[in-house]
Amino acid sequence: MSPFACVWVDFFAAAAAERCEPALREGALAVVIPAAHAKILEANAAARAGGVGPGMTETEARARCPALVSRPWVDAHVAAARAALLEAALGVSPRVEDAGAGVVHVDAAGLERLHGSPAALGAHLLGQARRVGFAARVALAGSRAAARLVAASAAAAVTVVPPGRERAALAPLSLAALALDADLAATLARWGVTTLGGLAALPREGLGARLGPAGLRAHDQALGRDREPFRAWTPPPFWEEAQELEWELDALDALAVVLARVLARLAARLEAAQLAAEALDVELALATGGRHARTVPLATPTCEVKPLLALLRLDLERHPPPAAVTRVVLGARTVRARAGQGGLWRPPAPAPRALGAVLARLAALVGGDNVGSPALLDSHRPDAHAMLAFAPPDEAGAEDEHRGQDGWRGRCSPPPAAVAAPPAGGSHDAWNAPARHGSPATPAADARTAGGADPARPRPAPDGEPEHRLVLRRARPPRRVEVETAGERPASVELGGGVQRVVACAGPWRASGEWWDVGEWAREEWDVALAGGALCRLAWDRRTGAWCLDGTYD
Amino acid sequence: MRLLRPGAITEIVGRSSSGRTSLFTACLGEATAAGGVAALVDADETFDPASAARAGVDLARLLWVRCAGRRDAALRATDLLVRCPGFALVGLDLGEAAPPLPPAAAFRLKFAVERTGAALVIVGRRRVAGAGASLVVETVRAGLEWEGPGLVPTRLARLVAGVRVLRARAGAPAAGAAPVSFCA
Repeated sequence: MSPFACVWVDFFAAAAAERCEPALREGALAVVIPAAHAKILEANAAARAGGVGPGMTETEARARCPALVSRPWVDAHVAAARAALLEAALGVSPRVEDAGAGVVHVDAAGLERLHGSPAALGAHLLGQARRVGFAARVALAGSRAAARLVAASAAAAVTVVPPGRERAALAPLSLAALALDADLAATLARWGVTTLGGLAALPREGLGARLGPAGLRAHDQALGRDREPFRAWTPPPFWEEAQELEWELDALDALAVVLARVLARLAARLEAAQLAAEALDVELALATGGRHARTVPLATPTCEVKPLLALLRLDLERHPPPAAVTRVVLGARTVRARAGQGGLWRPPAPAPRALGAVLARLAALVGGDNVGSPALLDSHRPDAHAMLAFAPPDEAGAEDEHRGQDGWRGRCSPPPAAVAAPPAGGSHDAWNAPARHGSPATPAADARTAGGADPARPRPAPDGEPEHRLVLRRARPPRRVEVETAGERPASVELGGGVQRVVACAGPWRASGEWWDVGEWAREEWDVALAGGALCRLAWDRRTGAWCLDGTYD
Repeated sequence: MRLLRPGAITEIVGRSSSGRTSLFTACLGEATAAGGVAALVDADETFDPASAARAGVDLARLLWVRCAGRRDAALRATDLLVRCPGFALVGLDLGEAAPPLPPAAAFRLKFAVERTGAALVIVGRRRVAGAGASLVVETVRAGLEWEGPGLVPTRLARLVAGVRVLRARAGAPAAGAAPVSFCA
């Protein structure tokens, strides 16, 4: 196995533009420096075949090639394309080197057991590059210099130089492949040296004495020797793709088309690196000069374009940009994707991808704060609960292992989406109050009525049938009602437009809390059966003297 | 009586304080205790998490969708949920003033649950799904029991209800009402 491979992309600036707009691959393309007299910086193969080359003015280029399409140089496009090529190579070998725009060295040592023959490894690299939008060439040789020079000048997509044959493989190549500076190239031309083989045949000592370090460097390259140590490239912790827009977009449908294109590029990069996005950062540059930034968390890590685009659209529908958009930047927060398998005996659960899309649609429909999983707070305050992001536990009972001291469930992140009551705990002051089933949310308080048994387990009724729990339908917010009392007991309640007599009642159950804080509360609760048939819970606020309807037992 | 019917619509109807919500919460508890994932579309935001937890509902396995009184949003949310495979139970609590569903909407829900296998349970004052429901039960309060050490009761002990089958696609509705008691 040759220890090094080189992935080479011709005319990289043009290839980066084609990656952003795949339709440009069909015709002649030139990348120009945006200026008053725009000059051609790079041209693709079709443009070069039409006589267009770097350094020409755009006018001259158009005169030579009327079908020429020009695009301005965009730093972000080229940087993203360069990163994409490196990441694609990283999917094949853990050690890659950034050797310039469109050139990646790959350490292929030890990969034969994974990929087979050198040709198969080259084909794999070629496929990876194609997946992120590049038509590349690959060469494998014993040194990086040899692999790079062969890749730059080869006609075939994959070229393998047999071990020890590097010098012979480089010998017929033109001296222009070394991209020497003009003076050195002119000197060698005067000596009649036109190929790498001719340069390699020159005596090294004499070459060093006459041409100095530049001559020795050229000689080493002609022999296929590496002068620099391998500098492994590490991917940055952020993954970003950007798209400049030629005109302003103010409609979401049109913006979605651009988002789909940018997302496809980003997803291809993630897939090549075997990563998945757990959140997307969207930054839209606005025509007003401002920015519109959104972060879209994903219920499950994925790199599939369709669900990601749906989630982005839903988020932007809820939070549209305030002005027309001129630039789109998408960033991904990545995690290593791990395959999982459901339990054999567990009921099926919603697929994470489908669940994420449904949660996003529900959030768009009723608001993000109104969708989630309820969680009880460690407080005696009535109706103390929080709404957490919905993420059903994988294993039954796994949740209890992660339950914190403060009563929050173990899913520490993200934080609660909405809290119905302050999380500060109340104290249950039962001033000589009888035990009851109602307001305390803690299992200990509930156990007083259940005789210490599991309160959630149906108990056998006197007739032997399992007995279920009576639940309350909450009135949110608690409804103010007028109550007439006889002594301290409710006698009649004005409810639903009429006065209803209380036929039976039980209470009071007194509770208070947070007297040490601004959220102090103190109340007495009564369970009342009304003549109309309703079975309600009434509460008397001891601080204000007002009665309210907490809810109805149903 | 088995109310959880995968791939079918079950309706629980009844007057206020008749035990219909407690019966529905028992279904939620059964579904989540078996390790399934359940969803509750709460049209009027009347769900009480503390009561449900005491009734055996694993709240971590429950998706609660609050609709702030918007019936149309509740129906659309239900439609989304029943189309997502993997939910063992999708509950729709329409509260007291629930207009009947258009037949097309009811059958749309019916076909969706048949495809995904979810059990859709609709709770309300009266029937809304018409012929789309496979099982319709009505809860009728039979009595209340109070407890206390003296003559004056100090504690609500239990609510006793009868559950009567109004419509059952598989087999004829049983005559009479099965007693169910709900301990306070």
